[in-house]
Amino acid sequence: MIFPTDENVLVGLDRADDAGVYRISEELALIQTVDFFTPIVDDPYWFGQIAAANALSDVYAMGGVPKTAMNLVGFPIKEMDIGVLRQIIQGGSDKIREAGAVLVGGHSIEDSELKYGLSVTGFVHPARVRIKNNLRAGDRLILTKPLGTGIINTAIKAGLASAVLIEQVTRLMATLNRGAAEAMDAFPVHACTDITGFGLLGHLAEMVLGSGCSVRVESQKVPILPGTVDFASMGLVPGGAFKNKSFRQALVAFADGVDAVMQDMLFDPQTSGGLLICIESQQADALAEALTRRGVPAAAVIGEVLDDPQEKIFVS
Amino acid sequence: MKEIDARGLSCPAPVLHTKATLEQEHPATIKVLVDNAASQQNVERFLRSQGFEVRLEKEGIDFAVIGKCGTPGAAVASKAAPVATEAKQKILVMCATDRMGFGDETLGQKLMVNFIRTLKEMGPELWRLVLVNNGVKLAVAGSPVLEDLKAYETKGTTVLVCGTCLEHFNLLAQKQVGQTTNMLDIVTAMQLADKVVNL
Repeated sequence: MIFPTDENVLVGLDRADDAGVYRISEELALIQTVDFFTPIVDDPYWFGQIAAANALSDVYAMGGVPKTAMNLVGFPIKEMDIGVLRQIIQGGSDKIREAGAVLVGGHSIEDSELKYGLSVTGFVHPARVRIKNNLRAGDRLILTKPLGTGIINTAIKAGLASAVLIEQVTRLMATLNRGAAEAMDAFPVHACTDITGFGLLGHLAEMVLGSGCSVRVESQKVPILPGTVDFASMGLVPGGAFKNKSFRQALVAFADGVDAVMQDMLFDPQTSGGLLICIESQQADALAEALTRRGVPAAAVIGEVLDDPQEKIFVS
Repeated sequence: MKEIDARGLSCPAPVLHTKATLEQEHPATIKVLVDNAASQQNVERFLRSQGFEVRLEKEGIDFAVIGKCGTPGAAVASKAAPVATEAKQKILVMCATDRMGFGDETLGQKLMVNFIRTLKEMGPELWRLVLVNNGVKLAVAGSPVLEDLKAYETKGTTVLVCGTCLEHFNLLAQKQVGQTTNMLDIVTAMQLADKVVNL
């Protein structure tokens, strides 16, 4: 299928990046993105917060700043009390405001399954768009949120997660990637993406393909939420992790010491995950420090880019 | 043989049904039928974690997991997942300083080095090693126990190093081992641990 395009499309369908980017002038390009999903947590206000943080994240992943947002709602109006929707929207609108953006409208339909999300518009300078696959050999990879939300959400559905853990993972998913994006802004970052449904290795694969490089990930350096290993060892791994793994298996080589549980965690689909930033190695520690000072959930140097054109991911 | 038909159920229901059946009926042998490979792997992993010997079979378009209650020793041989036998507990050791005891500093530091090295006798039960306040100095460049801590990490112990403390001492960039952590992680780990040892 051929899609029409024009020379102002900086990032479009041919690239499959985190969002679309369209140049308006020498100084300004528009970022456009959309995201919505079914409930992740029971509390409607927090569901709104998480869905909004998730949608806004793609703007940050492109190196931009969100400006306006619109609600997308599917609601079972005949079965559910409208008060639930009001709380979801409140959660979403509070998160939009926290991002410094403005809610300018939205659209709802009646739906047997509850859904919520946002369409978001952001601004970015055309020369500073952070695409996914501008990797350079020697660069380091930094992750700004720990992994584990897919597995822990499965454990929550199974009623096996403690209240403390539920609170921790809810807050983590609702955390905006704004702090990470602002820290990153002061550095000459080469590439960036955000970690969501394809898991760490799935999104890393998108960075590697087309980059002309390979990547090594040190599994012991990857931050992981407490409890994740235990739940994964019990078989509480979401179906998405298996799909992610079988989709990208050919690109990934696991060292012998990386057991099946670790492999699942690295492919675990994340909800509203952190940014995965690729930066030249001399600047990596300074960026990690800047991220930590801003209080982002993690600032872990998890791997490096290799001078190897195979475009593979080696996990040790 | 107890049979469970978990076809048509989405994750995590197959594992939950299997767990409930084990808890209520304690069958010696069990067969769980699922309709997708992901659920088959999850149920297999769950049964192994409960000490079962497991084999997988295909039944037409469906997937079967057949488990036989083995001895905890037999299940330990499986490399697919760590096994939760009666004996294995999760021990969290927190070091809030870089020496053991008060009175003599040199002695205290020597004792701590010895303590960190002897922790390996806990084997796989050493689940988390948390370093806070002066304890973070054990994880930075120049520490006498760096290699020991790295060895624990390789064997599966999670080493957590307090970020606020590293920052306070201006040692963020000198951390050589472990993951930077925060108070919420530490409190959650304490709740999940079976035993908390606080130095």
